[in-house]
Amino acid sequence: MELILTTAGSYPRIGDAADLQRHRQAYAQRERGEMSEEAFQKVEDETTAQVIREQIEAGIELVTDGQIRWYDPFSHFARGLEGVEINGLLRLFDTNLYFRQPVVKGRVRRQRPILLREYEFARSVSSRPVKPVLTGPYTLARGSVLGGGYGSVHALAVAYAGILAEEARDLARAGATLIQLDEPAILHHPEDLNVLQEALALLAAARGTARLALHTSFGDVTPLYRDLHALPVDVLGLDFTYSPKLPALIADAGAEKALALGVIDARNTKLETAEQVFPVLDAVLPALKARHAYLTPSCGLEFLPRERARQKLETMRQLRDAYLGGRS
Amino acid sequence: MSRQKLKRLGLDLPLLPTSTVGSFPKPPELAQARTKYARKQITKRELEALEKKATEFWVQTQEEIGLDVLVDGEQYRGDMVAHFAEIMGGFQTGGLVRSYGNRYYHKPVIVGEVRWPGPMTVSWWRWTQALTAKPVKGMLTGPYTVMDWSFNDHYPDRKSACLALAREIRKEVEALIEAGAKIIQIDEPAISVRQEELPFAIEAMHLTVDGLPAYFITHACYGAFETIYPDMLELPVDNLDLAISNSALDLLKIFEKNPFTKDLSLGVLDVHSHKIETPAEISARIMRGIRVLPPDRIWVDPDCGLKTRTVEESRAKLEAMLTAVRQIRSQRTSTP
Ligand SMILES: [Zn+2]
Repeated sequence: MELILTTAGSYPRIGDAADLQRHRQAYAQRERGEMSEEAFQKVEDETTAQVIREQIEAGIELVTDGQIRWYDPFSHFARGLEGVEINGLLRLFDTNLYFRQPVVKGRVRRQRPILLREYEFARSVSSRPVKPVLTGPYTLARGSVLGGGYGSVHALAVAYAGILAEEARDLARAGATLIQLDEPAILHHPEDLNVLQEALALLAAARGTARLALHTSFGDVTPLYRDLHALPVDVLGLDFTYSPKLPALIADAGAEKALALGVIDARNTKLETAEQVFPVLDAVLPALKARHAYLTPSCGLEFLPRERARQKLETMRQLRDAYLGGRS
Repeated sequence: MSRQKLKRLGLDLPLLPTSTVGSFPKPPELAQARTKYARKQITKRELEALEKKATEFWVQTQEEIGLDVLVDGEQYRGDMVAHFAEIMGGFQTGGLVRSYGNRYYHKPVIVGEVRWPGPMTVSWWRWTQALTAKPVKGMLTGPYTVMDWSFNDHYPDRKSACLALAREIRKEVEALIEAGAKIIQIDEPAISVRQEELPFAIEAMHLTVDGLPAYFITHACYGAFETIYPDMLELPVDNLDLAISNSALDLLKIFEKNPFTKDLSLGVLDVHSHKIETPAEISARIMRGIRVLPPDRIWVDPDCGLKTRTVEESRAKLEAMLTAVRQIRSQRTSTP
């Protein structure tokens, strides 16, 4: 069994050390009009390169760009669209992170690729493969205010999926081999699985040679675990921190798809131990059909202070090595 | 029922008692002084003098407006969890975490057994109560919210951290009561974030207040109440303070299905809007509440703390609220 170390999306932009304040200072300078958009983008580039380096140094084998340029999981993509305006702040699920809500006013369309440049930059500064992470069409639709002729979450999710399919096609052509779609909202609306299915089918048709990973978090995935296997994706990313019964369920139900095991809590500072993680791996790994699985934090790492985010990744690597070392 | 409890506590409040959720804006000179204090340019004593001056201003303003139950206005604190975490044993200041845009905060970390350090809020409460004959609320953050807004490096899980906090916060409740507080507000804005954890959030509130002689209010901000209603009625407090101005109709519709069994503080002012509500708008919101609950179980207040509004906006909004309440009171007493 191969266990590939990956991250799940965001990464802290700044740390507490004096030399890790650059992004925050630049952001403030830009807000005050003391820094040009161009100069700020350069800071974003540098910060992106820095957090990629940090992931690699911590042992991550499939990195993300840390979503350094994302204001939040909703408005970053929505800003790139015609037909959508951005509204006030709302709490992101059960976190203390706030997002700006997209408000749909007209037909949604992208003028140009939204995430391609970000991906290409990340690739150019990374010695390891980069996994683009996108908020999925269903969650985007759930977090938006309906309008512009889209009368239902269903209709809007399909419209967003059409655009995300173009994004996925661009990313695959640019070299992405695995594309992650975050769909936490489905955990709160299991009745909409058919909507998610229809939306993801559009992405699946456009993904080319890339594989799709569906990641759920911010809720208990056990009630939906079996049903998720019917979706047109290749990998399921699972947040274990809400689901004490998930290991037993997987042991029992097996897994047709490859799994990304979110066993490292990205929402709490406490570092995981072998006593916690090994029993989960013992239960889950024998039930997997694929010959590889991913180990990942439960969600993006931005909920942690920078220093602790890095320690979480180092812990994940140490646990992986100890686990495999003890078993070979 | 809770009217009787209030009477037993010696509190005689008018119909539709009016209050506020806790925070008032800090006057500009205090905001500047806090920055200077953080940069060590002024002393703690100089800062405290300004905090007291601002508190006096707000007590006087609340009296002028005619509010029935007053607050100290939280002129001496910023974040509602960090304030307690800084004082309590078992916490450390955590690293920076982003909340939105370029805003970061230090999220506290529980690193050992949490410990009540002796009275945390009593001296401010006592000092404020001495300024007025009206009752001043004791103000605390509840154990579930302190747990949810902190990292936990020490306890095995969220539940044990929450229950441990409850046992310590109870000591502060006891100290407030001993000092003479009769109305104590224990805020739980995080209570609706994880539906499956509501049972232990309720258990924690039992540990915090059971058997203690005070009228307890719990304020919870915008949240998905429909997911924890009617179960949230199990919270062992007398009064739930819920935002009505934004999500009014939904909430009251839910009450029609499952009757609301406590006193209700109707949050009728939108604290996130600059717009000053008219008395007629506020009246309509209160009347919607009266349609589903007997008026002697309704309190009236803004939907959250006013700290993000200006001093002038806060005052104008509250004056409109009192105008609306006085109109309804006089209609009620003139019609037999
Ligand atoms: Zn509030």
